Amino acid sequence: MQKTKTTRRGFLRASAGLIGGGWLAANWPGIAAAAEAAASARDAGAEFSHLDPLDAADLEAMAALIIPDDDSPGAREAGVIYFMDTALGSIFAAQAAGLATGLADLNAKVVALDAGAKRFAGLDSARQIELLRREESSPIFGGVRFMTLCGFLAMPSYGGNRNHVGWDLIGFDHRHAWQPPFGYYDAKAAGNGDTDV
Amino acid sequence: MSDSIRFPTREPVDFVIIGSGAAGGVLAKELATSGFDVVVLEQGPYRRPSEFSHDELDVIFNNAYSGGTSGDYPQTYRQKESERAEVTDFPAAYYARMVGGSSVHYSANFWRLRPLDFNERSRLGGIAGTGFADWPLSYEELEPYYTKVDWEIGVSGAPGPFDPPRSKPYPVPPMPLKSSGALLEMGARKLGLHAQPAPVAILSQPHNGRPACIHCGFCMGFGCEANAKSSTLATMIPLAEATGHCEIRPLSTVYKLETDANGRVSDVLYFDERGLSQGQKAKAVILAANGAETPRLLLESESSRFPDGLANSSGKVGKYLMFNSHSSSNAMFEHDLNEYKSIQCTRIVQDFYESDAKRGFYGGGVIDARPFLSATPIFYALNGLPPDTPTWGSEFKRALAEGFTRRLSILGSGTSLARESNSISLDPELKDRHGRAALRVTYEDHPDDLALARFLQDRSVELMEAVGAKKIWRDPVEVQSITAHLLGTCRMGDDPHESVVDRDHRSHDVPNLFICDGSSLVTSGRGQPTMTIQALAFRAADRIRDFSKNNQI
Repeated sequence: MQKTKTTRRGFLRASAGLIGGGWLAANWPGIAAAAEAAASARDAGAEFSHLDPLDAADLEAMAALIIPDDDSPGAREAGVIYFMDTALGSIFAAQAAGLATGLADLNAKVVALDAGAKRFAGLDSARQIELLRREESSPIFGGVRFMTLCGFLAMPSYGGNRNHVGWDLIGFDHRHAWQPPFGYYDAKAAGNGDTDV
Repeated sequence: MSDSIRFPTREPVDFVIIGSGAAGGVLAKELATSGFDVVVLEQGPYRRPSEFSHDELDVIFNNAYSGGTSGDYPQTYRQKESERAEVTDFPAAYYARMVGGSSVHYSANFWRLRPLDFNERSRLGGIAGTGFADWPLSYEELEPYYTKVDWEIGVSGAPGPFDPPRSKPYPVPPMPLKSSGALLEMGARKLGLHAQPAPVAILSQPHNGRPACIHCGFCMGFGCEANAKSSTLATMIPLAEATGHCEIRPLSTVYKLETDANGRVSDVLYFDERGLSQGQKAKAVILAANGAETPRLLLESESSRFPDGLANSSGKVGKYLMFNSHSSSNAMFEHDLNEYKSIQCTRIVQDFYESDAKRGFYGGGVIDARPFLSATPIFYALNGLPPDTPTWGSEFKRALAEGFTRRLSILGSGTSLARESNSISLDPELKDRHGRAALRVTYEDHPDDLALARFLQDRSVELMEAVGAKKIWRDPVEVQSITAHLLGTCRMGDDPHESVVDRDHRSHDVPNLFICDGSSLVTSGRGQPTMTIQALAFRAADRIRDFSKNNQI
């Protein structure tokens, strides 16, 4: 097939990396159960249900580079890793094996970079950034980035986006009803009867 | 649902309607209120408005309403007939599987066609290598039914400078202006163009016992929990069921239409929710399963009497698929637009509707401004930022923080030329979970459609430049491999060699088989087909009712 990847709807595959589409697969009816499980795991504050703790440390380190915790909460404070833990046992379960392989490949490169580090999470910050920059177009990066954004911005019931920190960052106020004016330009048009900026 | 009437499968009902969406819902209501017994077979579940949520991960990324991304409903896609079709990451033909069909999850832009859409072939002449044709209907014949859609379905709007004649005003005023609409209006004024309120099938005020929109913002891709979006689930289906003559049978996937010794459809075979094969006998069948599923089912219903598929003596079943031409561009502004609030689209610019030979290609279209894919947070984070934005790190986070409330998309929607090589067919290799051949989409936009898309994109960019956008970026204009518009695949016409159904939606080959949905359209219109699909459905119901009363089926 010829290259026809970008479309009007530009859906996910355009932006989520090579394995982006795959992350959309299977197990969708289990989602409500996943949300419940995530909420209770978070309340308990604790153990991962599906992730190996070492894998979790690598994933959280990557997520924290993708959306850093700086002057505002990032992936770490949002609890993105808890989202991933739940999602990999439910809605993204079909990707768990691919993710494990991707992490193993990545960690093989870690050893080449710093034999003492053993794993991505063990690298110092500069080397983590250096390695991630090299891996920007890899499936593992695409997959972790996709899950990080989902975990940062999905409903908090999935375990991430704690206290709405993701929504707060982008300015999304989740209410069930709004009234006009909605934004600056329609307010101005209504006020002036004139829409010149 | 549980207390609604149940019809026995072994006794023929007056009508089996296949599909409960934009067309099927209208036909069910019209025929049931006329006293006919109707069974509606719908492959998706029966969801209630109270079940609809704002859960983006489930609805958009898990495709809860379209049945999951691929697994159970595999499709293949290719550009050209000479290629082997492949399974793609996202299905080429995108539609909802639920009672109400895609009218539940669409954005509800509701433009009428104009008189020229029906006879453009005669006005402009033929176009070599295409199936460009006139409709067997005129705008004047369809106008009363457009008005019926306005009032019975519920359309908000106000007249615009280019509107075709209408016999009655809109039932409710236009939806309130959004910032995208305000900017489009201002840009149009500066360039000497005309922005008008966008007609939408979403209520600005209470109508027919339904409430007004609460502007929650979860329109495109979502179901409306307020019942303000005028889906057939909210409008037609309850009226049909209230008659006691209509059974909605969800989770019923039709796989074959059986014919009797006289060549009439007698039995509709389907898989029930347990996957067991069932058959519903019918005196007449109305196929309204959408422009992809309808031809698929006809092709699957081949028999010794109908070796090329049912109702396909013309060989046109599945052919002449049209997506509508599309372009999109994006712009960032200094102040907050907050496009995540309220509906998608509040203003449209129709100055480029007519084809103009001076442009050097056939076609015309309409420009609108809206959040598009960035109405919800995750979709925005994945698709909404300029392509030169870093994809991770502090700079990415800063861009993520700034863009959501300040961006919009500007879309050009327009004509597609009918090409015989663009089609829905049965994949020769891939099967679904029931062992049915997977749906295969073959589609390559006509060069004129792509030229139109580029033209409308240029005009879109000028409009955003005129209002001082801080940054503007274009999405590439390329051959489309995904669509929610599935048109033309069982086209209507007077000539049985060139079309599948006649002007009354009766198939040329099978007297008790009617077909009415997006597949009936002869030309694509300028980008928003549902209004026309529903007007056709109201009109078809009138004809079918008359035929039945006069014993002509």
